[in-house]
Amino acid sequence: MPVPLLVELIFVLVIFAVVQAYAPERTLLAGTVLGAGAAALLAVNYQALLSLEFWVGLIGFVAILSALLVVIHPNPMVSILFLIVNLFCIALFYLILQAQFLAAIQIIIYAGAIMVLFVFVVMLLNLKAEVGLRLTAAPQRWGAILLGTAFVALLFHAIRGRLDEAYIEAGMFDSAFGAARGLGGLLFSKYLFAFEAASLLLIAAMIGAVVLAKRKVR
Amino acid sequence: MDRIVAQVLVESAVKIALFFFVILTAVAYMTLVERRVSAWIQDRLGPNRVGPFGLLQPLADGIKFLFKEEITPPHVYRPVYLLAPLLIFVPALVTFSVIPIGPAVELHGHRVRLQIADVDNGVLVILALSAMGVYGVALAGWSSNSKYSLMGGLRSSAQLISYELAMGLSIVGVLMAAGSLRLNDIVERQAEHGWNILWQLPGFLIFLTAAFAETNRLPFDLPEAEAELVAGYHTEYSGLRFSMFYMAEYVNMITASALATTLYCGGYHVPGLHLLGLPPLAAALVQVLAFCLKVGFFLFVYVWVRWTLPRFRYDQLMNLGWKMLLPAALLHVMWVSFIVLMDWS
Repeated sequence: MPVPLLVELIFVLVIFAVVQAYAPERTLLAGTVLGAGAAALLAVNYQALLSLEFWVGLIGFVAILSALLVVIHPNPMVSILFLIVNLFCIALFYLILQAQFLAAIQIIIYAGAIMVLFVFVVMLLNLKAEVGLRLTAAPQRWGAILLGTAFVALLFHAIRGRLDEAYIEAGMFDSAFGAARGLGGLLFSKYLFAFEAASLLLIAAMIGAVVLAKRKVR
Repeated sequence: MDRIVAQVLVESAVKIALFFFVILTAVAYMTLVERRVSAWIQDRLGPNRVGPFGLLQPLADGIKFLFKEEITPPHVYRPVYLLAPLLIFVPALVTFSVIPIGPAVELHGHRVRLQIADVDNGVLVILALSAMGVYGVALAGWSSNSKYSLMGGLRSSAQLISYELAMGLSIVGVLMAAGSLRLNDIVERQAEHGWNILWQLPGFLIFLTAAFAETNRLPFDLPEAEAELVAGYHTEYSGLRFSMFYMAEYVNMITASALATTLYCGGYHVPGLHLLGLPPLAAALVQVLAFCLKVGFFLFVYVWVRWTLPRFRYDQLMNLGWKMLLPAALLHVMWVSFIVLMDWS
C-alpha cells in the first residue's frame, strides 16, 4: 500500500508541473484541483500514513527534488531556500533513525547558522548580474557532465548489494540511542582524540581567517 | 495500535487548537496592554474608547487589518515576498509547543501533560526554531527590493546571529544544573533545589538581554529603526501580511517570556504549594495560573524597558553582543560548571 501512494502523489505533482509549464495562468485552478486530489488519495489510503516506508519515501523524494532545484533554479536566493529544505529533510532522516540530538544540531548549525550566513552574503551581492546566469562554456559543461556521471557511478558502486544493510525498521534502535547523553559519552571517551583534533582544526581555520582579513586593514 | 495512535492524535489536536487560541488571544490583548502601559508610563490615557477600558480595541484592530487593502509592490520578488511573513510567524508559534505550562494531570483516568510535545531535546528544539525566525526577517528585507527593507534585513540577520550565541551559552548553565535537555526535567529540578535565578543571576541577565535582541524589541529594535529605515524589513508590507509580522513579534515576546520563566524562574512551580494540601487538579490549576503570572510579569518588563532605555547605535549593539555578552556568558558557563562539579548547588 505505501509505495503506490507515494507514486500517486508524485504523479499528481508531475501533472501540476506540466500545467505550470504549459498554462501558467491556470496555476491556481490546477493547484486547487490537484491538491484536492492529493488530499482524497491520502484520505483513502490513510493507513499508509502510519507506515515508515511512506514517510521515508516522501522525505527522500522532497530531499532529491529540493537538491535538484538548488542546482537548477536560476535565482541564488531561491537555491539557498531549497538547500534549507534539503537540510531539513536530512534532519528528518536523523529523526527517523532515532538520532534526535543530531537532528536538532543539524537544524541549529546547518539550517540555522550556516545558511543564514549564505543568505547574508547573497543579500550583500548585487544579484542582477547573477540571476539567470547559465553555464555556456563548453569545456566546463562537458567536464561537469563527465565528473557528475563518474560520481553517480561511484555512488551506485558503493550502494550496490548493500541495500539490505541500509534498510531500517521502526524500533531498530531504542530512543536513548541518539540522545545527547549517549552521543556526548562517545565523543568524550571513545572518539576523544578525533573530537579534539577536529576542534583544533576549526580553531586554526578561524585564526587563519582573522589573520587574512586583518592583514589588509593594516 | 490504531486506538493508541488515534488517542494521541486527538489529544494533540485538542491541545494544539487550545494553545493556538490562547496564544493568539494573548497576542491581541498584549497589543492593548502595551499601549495602555505605555500610556501609563508616559502619563496619558491610551486607547480607552472601544468597550470598557478599551477592552474591545484588539477586536477593532483585527477587523481593520482584515479589511485593509493588501498592496504588493510591483518590484518585489513575489514567491519569497509572500513566504517571508509565514517564515517568521510559524516558527514563533511552534516554539511554544515544547514549553510545559503545568504539571501532568489526571483526566478521566488519562495522564495528560499540559504541554503539546514533551520532547527530550526541548531546549534544542527551541534554539532551532528561534534560529529559523531569522529567515523571515532576512528574506522579507531581501525580497522587498527596497533599500530600507534590505538594510533592515541585513542589520537584523547580523543582530540575531550575534545574540543567538550569547543566548545559547547562557542556557548552557541551566542545562548543566539539570543534566538534561528536557524542559520538564529543568522545571522539576528547580522545584527540588530552588529556582535557577537565585544562583545563576548573570546567566539570567544575559539570557534576558539576548531575548530582547532576538525579539527585535527596544532597545534593540534596530532592524526597524523608524528614524532611519522607515520601518525596516517590513516597510513594503501592508494589510494582513504586515499584521503577521506584528503578531509574530508579540508571539516571540510571549515565547521568550515563557522560556525565561521555565529556565530560570521555576516554570509552573509555586514554592510551598504542597503545604496547602490542595486536590491535584486544583493544584495544577494554581500552577498554570502561576506560570501565566510569571510570563505576564516578563511581558510587562518588555514594555517597561521599552520606555526606559533609548535605542542602541549599531556599533554599540555589536560591541555589547560580541565583546561583553559573549565573554560574560563563557565566564558564566565556567563558573556554573565549577559549582556543578563541586556539587555545591
